[in-house]
Amino acid sequence: MGGMGALDMSGSLFSTTLSYLKDVFSSVRSILESCVTAIPYLFSAGENRKEVTEQYPDPISSRTADDLPSRSRGLLFNDIDRCTGCRECEKICPNKSIAIETQSGSDPAKIWVSLFDIDFSKCIFCGLCVEECIPGSLVHTKQYEGAVYVLDDLKASFGRGGVTPEMQARWAANRRTHENEEVGF
Amino acid sequence: MSGQGPAWAILLQKVFGLQGNYPNGLLAFVALFFIYLFLIVPGAWIISYVDRKLGADFQARVGPNRAGPSGFFQPLADFLKLMQKDSQEKITTSDLLWIIVFSSALYSSVAVIPLGSSFLMVDTDLSAFIPFLSALVLALGTMLLGFSRPTVPGWFGAIKVAGQAFSGAFPALISLLTAGIRSGGFRWSHLANSQGASPMDWAAFSNPFQFLALIVFMISGLVMMCLPPMEGVVLPINMNGGVTAHLYGRRWAIFRLGRFYASFLWSLVASVLFLGGWQLPEQVNDLLSDSLILKQSLESILLLSKTFIMMLIVIWVSRVNPRTRVDQVTDFAWKVLSPFALLALVGSAIWAGWGLLI
Repeated sequence: MGGMGALDMSGSLFSTTLSYLKDVFSSVRSILESCVTAIPYLFSAGENRKEVTEQYPDPISSRTADDLPSRSRGLLFNDIDRCTGCRECEKICPNKSIAIETQSGSDPAKIWVSLFDIDFSKCIFCGLCVEECIPGSLVHTKQYEGAVYVLDDLKASFGRGGVTPEMQARWAANRRTHENEEVGF
Repeated sequence: MSGQGPAWAILLQKVFGLQGNYPNGLLAFVALFFIYLFLIVPGAWIISYVDRKLGADFQARVGPNRAGPSGFFQPLADFLKLMQKDSQEKITTSDLLWIIVFSSALYSSVAVIPLGSSFLMVDTDLSAFIPFLSALVLALGTMLLGFSRPTVPGWFGAIKVAGQAFSGAFPALISLLTAGIRSGGFRWSHLANSQGASPMDWAAFSNPFQFLALIVFMISGLVMMCLPPMEGVVLPINMNGGVTAHLYGRRWAIFRLGRFYASFLWSLVASVLFLGGWQLPEQVNDLLSDSLILKQSLESILLLSKTFIMMLIVIWVSRVNPRTRVDQVTDFAWKVLSPFALLALVGSAIWAGWGLLI
């Protein structure tokens, strides 16, 4: 279709051979160029030509967990004394790796977090739960060694445990004393 | 009384200080054992280490640095790990088939590889073709490996490997013939003796067509045996690795050793065909004419260093260039390598004829 003028030679034997050779030549040149480009990296010459990968923090690389960046996302830790049991982390977790069970606590308005399990075999360390945590009890530690021999060992429990009848009795007694004090007997 | 039988048998008897007549078969067995122990296995170790370290440097990474000084024992650690990981699958008949074909390609051609003027265990008129056939058998083994996989990627990978091997075999054969035109035969000793020690006397630099043949020979070998940088067909990015999908443990170790051996064999043959082989300068040859062992050792070291440099160049090119798909590779092999191989053949023939006429 290409009628570009009187000098159009596309499709002729000569021009096809020429373009074929040009293609071969340009690919050879591009391969050689990339080979030459790589040479400075081989000798780590220049400023930006150093290794860009990070070493795994362990005694061999003489890096410790403290050398990790401040925002690195290690294994999770929940400070149960600050945890309100609001379940925001459980809701946001994309893998449902957090399991929470709550009961009413010493004060009916307070929540007793009886179960707070994080299954690290499901966790992808996305950090959404930490961002969502309003009291700031759930944090990333700098622990990064998560290898275990048994799968169940990957479950971390932070819960307070179930409320026993004795505890309920004691809380009820406490509440009665408080109410009496407030009324002023 | 040593001094009987072929040159390599005499050499071996001298090295071990053996007296009396030992059957050549026994000596050959010992020779093969030592080639494996002191050449193939350490070679695989060093090349795989150098490959990973160079690749890391080119890509601004650190590379292996844990096992031993600068990670030098990493290949050993990998090997031990692979030996421990036994496959849960049972060995089926088709598994057996590829393992047999692959190992036979590994073992059969070791006796053929040339290592110096007196270490030529098989020096026949068609010696140079045997590594070529061995390469084809390796490709066949890879194809059978694919068919033995219980997965669709394996079967498709097998077809791809077969297509790629076929497309690479033609230019490889033609460039092999080109080398034969110059030397006037395919005997290892013919091929080496037709060249000299100085690079100007190497076949590759004797005329432009031989140089072209060297380039085509190297690339088509990589195409034929799916070696880097033409190994797109066995990479995980291509249908979960194609033939290598779900291949691990000891079988993976066999596969990796086969791939090292393929690249080693091909570089060695290219060095003998085009890069002067084991030819030492004449003065050195005169000096060493009394000491067979020293001469042979120097020749082997020279030849192996040429082989090592060829492998390094291939590693260099493959580590800095992107991988190609199987259709791109076969397209390249048929449409670029083959015409250039034929050009080299015809050009070399004319050059040889011209030399005879004038």
